[in-house]
Amino acid sequence: MSWDDKLLKQAKKIIKLYPQKRSALGPLLHLAQSKDGYISDDSITVISELVGITEVQVKSVSTFYSMYKQEPTGKYLLSVCKSISCEINNSSEVINKVQEFTGLNNNETDEEELFTFEAVECIGACGGAPAVQVNYETVEGVTPENAINLCKWLKETKPDVVVADEMQENFGGIKSFDWAIQDNSGATSTAPGFQTLKTTKVKK
Amino acid sequence: MKETILLTKHMRDNPEGSHLIDSYEKNNGYSTAKKTILESSPEKILEEIKASNIRGRGGAGFPTGVKWGFLAEDEDRYLVINADESEPGTFKDRILLERDPHQLIEGIIITCFSANIKEAFIYIRGEYAKPARRVQQAVEQAYQKGYLGKNIFGSEINLDIVVHLGAGAYICGEETALLNSLEGRRGEPRLKPPYFPAVKGLYMKPTLVNNVETISSVPWIIENGGEEYNKLGVEGSTGTRIFSLSGHVNNPGNYEIEMGSSFGEFVETLGGGIRNNKKVKAYIPGGASAPWFRGDQLDIKMTIDDVANNNSMLGSGAVVMMDEDTNLVSAAKSIVSFFAHESCGQCTPCREGTTWLEMILDRIASGRGRTSDMNLLLDVCDNISPGLSWPPKMTTICPLGPSAVSPITSLMNDFRDEVESLIPTKVLL
Amino acid sequence: MNEKVNLNVNGIEIESDPNKLLIEACEDSGIHIPRFCWHKRLDPVGMCRMCLVEVETPRGKMLVPSCTTEVSDEMVVDTESDVVKKAQEGVLEFLLINHPLDCPICDKAGECPLQDQTMAYGPGESRFVEEKRHFEKPINISEIILLDRERCILCARCTRFSDEISGDPLIEFIQRGNKTEVNTFPNEPFKSYFSGNTVQICPVGALTSTSYRFKARPWDLKSTRSTCNGCSMGCSTELNSSQNKMLRILGVDNDTVNQGWLCDKGRYNFEYLNSDSRLKTPLKKIENELVEIEIQDVYSELSEVIKDRQTKVNFLLGSNLTNEDYVAFREFSEIISQSEKCFYLNDDMLHPGFFGENVELAKVDDLNSSDAIVVWAEDLKEKIPVLYLRIRQAVKNGVKLVVFGHTNETLSDIADVFYGKETVSENFEIVKDISKLKEIKEYVIGKNITAILGKSTPHQSDKSVTKLFEFLNSNSNSKVLNAYSKGNTYGAFQTLENVKGLNDFVNDISEENTDLLFIVGADPVGRSVYSNQIKSIIEGLDKVVALDNFNHETSELANFLIPMSSTLGEKEGTFTNIEFRTSRIDKLVPSPGQTVSDWEFITSLMNFAGLTVETNSLESLNKKAYENLDPSLSPVFDNLDKPSNLDGMVNVSKPKISSTDNNSNEVKFFTGEKLYGDSATERHSDSISLLGSKKYIEVGEGVIEKYNLTSGKCTLIQDEFEVAVSYEVNKSFPNDLIYIPTNRRELNKFDFSREIMIIPSLVKEALDVN
Repeated sequence: MSWDDKLLKQAKKIIKLYPQKRSALGPLLHLAQSKDGYISDDSITVISELVGITEVQVKSVSTFYSMYKQEPTGKYLLSVCKSISCEINNSSEVINKVQEFTGLNNNETDEEELFTFEAVECIGACGGAPAVQVNYETVEGVTPENAINLCKWLKETKPDVVVADEMQENFGGIKSFDWAIQDNSGATSTAPGFQTLKTTKVKK
Repeated sequence: MKETILLTKHMRDNPEGSHLIDSYEKNNGYSTAKKTILESSPEKILEEIKASNIRGRGGAGFPTGVKWGFLAEDEDRYLVINADESEPGTFKDRILLERDPHQLIEGIIITCFSANIKEAFIYIRGEYAKPARRVQQAVEQAYQKGYLGKNIFGSEINLDIVVHLGAGAYICGEETALLNSLEGRRGEPRLKPPYFPAVKGLYMKPTLVNNVETISSVPWIIENGGEEYNKLGVEGSTGTRIFSLSGHVNNPGNYEIEMGSSFGEFVETLGGGIRNNKKVKAYIPGGASAPWFRGDQLDIKMTIDDVANNNSMLGSGAVVMMDEDTNLVSAAKSIVSFFAHESCGQCTPCREGTTWLEMILDRIASGRGRTSDMNLLLDVCDNISPGLSWPPKMTTICPLGPSAVSPITSLMNDFRDEVESLIPTKVLL
Repeated sequence: MNEKVNLNVNGIEIESDPNKLLIEACEDSGIHIPRFCWHKRLDPVGMCRMCLVEVETPRGKMLVPSCTTEVSDEMVVDTESDVVKKAQEGVLEFLLINHPLDCPICDKAGECPLQDQTMAYGPGESRFVEEKRHFEKPINISEIILLDRERCILCARCTRFSDEISGDPLIEFIQRGNKTEVNTFPNEPFKSYFSGNTVQICPVGALTSTSYRFKARPWDLKSTRSTCNGCSMGCSTELNSSQNKMLRILGVDNDTVNQGWLCDKGRYNFEYLNSDSRLKTPLKKIENELVEIEIQDVYSELSEVIKDRQTKVNFLLGSNLTNEDYVAFREFSEIISQSEKCFYLNDDMLHPGFFGENVELAKVDDLNSSDAIVVWAEDLKEKIPVLYLRIRQAVKNGVKLVVFGHTNETLSDIADVFYGKETVSENFEIVKDISKLKEIKEYVIGKNITAILGKSTPHQSDKSVTKLFEFLNSNSNSKVLNAYSKGNTYGAFQTLENVKGLNDFVNDISEENTDLLFIVGADPVGRSVYSNQIKSIIEGLDKVVALDNFNHETSELANFLIPMSSTLGEKEGTFTNIEFRTSRIDKLVPSPGQTVSDWEFITSLMNFAGLTVETNSLESLNKKAYENLDPSLSPVFDNLDKPSNLDGMVNVSKPKISSTDNNSNEVKFFTGEKLYGDSATERHSDSISLLGSKKYIEVGEGVIEKYNLTSGKCTLIQDEFEVAVSYEVNKSFPNDLIYIPTNRRELNKFDFSREIMIIPSLVKEALDVN
């Protein structure tokens, strides 16, 4: 097994949350994503044993959902929204700028494994269009210029915790709603930052 | 036109931490749940919900009281909160999750009490990481206070809540697909019949699946009475509703209003009008699945029935304004691409049809269209949604396929010239 | 309770059982609704949408899939309206936009539902001008199955089959939406015993088998209905040939037996028929050399031996004979031998079974109607695979399953209780008080039970199973299915008397009591755990005649070797299955060279010797076989050929089995047979020949430690004899148990009553497969 004891313990804790083991499949795949930056065949084997289904059944589920990546991702997953509200608010220009800066086509990762770029469907930030997520941390009202600034900042400072509120303050604009009090929790991998997965930290 | 603030009251009044239990309790939070658990009865709660005439806020608008009433008897029953908000244009659940998670938890406690449910799941779309963290934190706080877990509020009642993260699949907003997903399967919609969640839901047990906004409304309804709620809004669309306004407006955002005013009034007052004083060319009244209205149809009233009578739907309450400069073919293509990307692939017409529509639109948008494509587009649509009528008939398992048809029929009915102008004239050689 | 409902379909009133699906009800009334994903034996999924019809509802006419809609009284249905036709044409067009136009090179063309329905309902030309979806084609997803994802229409028949029916979900949908494909996990290919069924039910040419690929066109095929004699299930088959060569075997939906399914061995173990290694001329051993000989000379030499009718003749009969063959040997023995008649079956595990006065025998269908099924027998998945499927089906329908012993660990995933090593000892004894087992109290006592009982391994004492039988018989309302697994064992039971197994053969047979031994279709030297003893007994005999398809380790010891027709496809006759259901074995291809049927050989021999035989034709043998039964109900050819009897006729009889218990042998090793071995027929069937070639053992966890095994390989040593094998740990085994599959080459050659040394192998090359 290629998962260390700590991760296995976490996995078993998650399994216990559900009346049936298989329900933990989704969260366990998020764990796999946080571990390797994608769903490796090794992780599939581990998960199939933990949940008691065949490997191809795990694969079948993991490839259904767009957040479980089938290829390794960079440290930062840049997801630029292209759905209707963003589309009519110039998201294509944001996409162009990010692609220009990173030199990446859709679903590509750079050689330094710093960025993975994707143009994605609606991320629920339509009032703050165009919107971007970095490791599922949302930034709203991103101008093409600020998109580049955001990328530059990530490249230069390489934060280990990506925090929505911090990015919004520095690179965001119009918001879907008042975010109110500053929140310093964020994501530590290309899996969503979430307590149960131990993929979130508070940035000091 | 003004907002009517019920659901969003606590968060507005307490910007410095409305997501925390202290703030919530300071504003009488959890008192309704406590009273309910200790003093009320499941039947009474159900009566109030029925009296409120609240209809589901997820999109389909099914009467909530009726839904609860359908729940089959069983020792194991589940409540699943549908927080998989993914319909383009919609971001109203996000604010409720992020800014007032305790209101949702309180709603869950009351709902589970009424339906005799001991385990609830909140299925939050994976991309809503921050909202999910807020909800998880709130759940943990509620456990610490003894509002969740064993013997809640000192009663004999037990209730557990698990916050479950989705992983990027719009289709999981469809309730049976959501249940499959929660069971660790592909998020493919189940067949109805026989798999109605109220009878054969999660783990084949009777399951209530309700939207975040619906359940967040429950504490107010129980505290103030179903009758009071029923007085708000108009018949058939009672209470308040949070509309997500986006597109080319000056003040996009979430607005809690009583249903009944016109879209035009809504946009002009709360929305601050269209940017740069432009005119509206078209708008989407209820999320990406809804057929569009033209700019000259702004006087349609924002009620479930008025919108339906005009051959569209209020859906998830997402209003997207498109001004006179909007390239509607690109807009339609964006929506069709969305549905093609999100099709689960189970049934043939949706899997093959939505992608084909996307390809044809792409051809037209990039100047490679053919004259025959006009009819082809409509005929492919017809093979997904026969008759192109509203509400849509469908050759598909679930409404996702027909949703991709909406923008195309809108385009072809009202803006055909715009499409035709992109098709190059044939040069005779 | 079976009140019918009436519905109106296309203006015609039809009647149907309630709860039926509309598509079935229509089919029963002769109204065909096109479909791809719906299959009678699989749960409906309503995915392809080809079967949409219009049903009148209070809200007007609605398009509904007829495969997921149940009939109701006074339902009004239109399967041919313009809306329906348009929808069906639309679905076909959708399916075709990404379907390659490679019908000219596709195996399925000519019997392809997609092709047929395109002709019947489809659009004339394609309006799809974009590029079709592309995949690498085809890919091997197992040794015997290929997958062409471009042809796949994603009907989920294969994925549902492997999940719902065979319970080995190794093939699945991958990706979603328009990118969806069917595939396997790279390291875990489609290793199923039932994979061939997915090829059969694939509605396009996406799944194909290596054995049939590019071999023939459906319109060139000849076919006949027959019965598989691979194990005692007796699955109904359709044999297909072209240019006198057997090319394919399909499962026929016999509701009471196999319901359309076959195991892969039953389906693919036929290529040996065309093998160059087949015996085609009679051979005689002269100075240890087998030389060709005229059949007349065989008859002449043998008739010298038998004509005085004082010859002491014995028979060692395989399980691949037809009932008519068995009768021919019985009649032969009646005429030429004065001693007590006795027939040895090629079976290590023959035991008296449970056929007494107090026993009610079960039918396979009883599995579905019991409260619980109790299993203690050989590994049914390995030995009677389709019975294993029927058990799975019963469990899916809510029947409880109680499984004893590690041999049926393969059922543990669906068993309500699996009594493993804590309950069943290494010596195959139930070591606990059965009546005190919790689940026995819950599921068994006082309930309707179908008990599948038999020996788990050759060295197990008969008594241990009897103990369980007696408990069930006195504490529940039980019916028994005796789990004899080998081919036509029940045919032998029905036609022969004084039947014994190989352990009795070893104890009984000697020069003194055997002037002449016939070994028919049996290779005990190559398979049996009594291999060494049997070999030396045969070597000690004067005259041994072997009848077989191939020369093998047993037949090579004979004085005469007679080339036989194969019961598969080259003979006519009858076969009796595990529930005493007798059905037709049919001939489709010519028998090569001078091969003859067993009965033909023995009848000709008697004719040659001038002995009067009444039964000198297949028909007369067939009548003779069932002379004690009511002529109108007996499975004689005339009756079996009536359309209503094609699925076979059941005539339960009480067999006369006189095998003796072998409990003197102390069990040291657990032996058994895997589905795939390296028998002569398997070795000469190219598609499957490698599947049973791996020499391996399974061991309990303690064995690893005890022998210090680490490399995955080890060597078994006894005296001078050694075999290099790989090993797999089986966690359900008692700690020290070692399982040795005796149908893998060489592995049956040990003396299992004595110690076998195990040493770890360090050199990888020591393990040469095949």
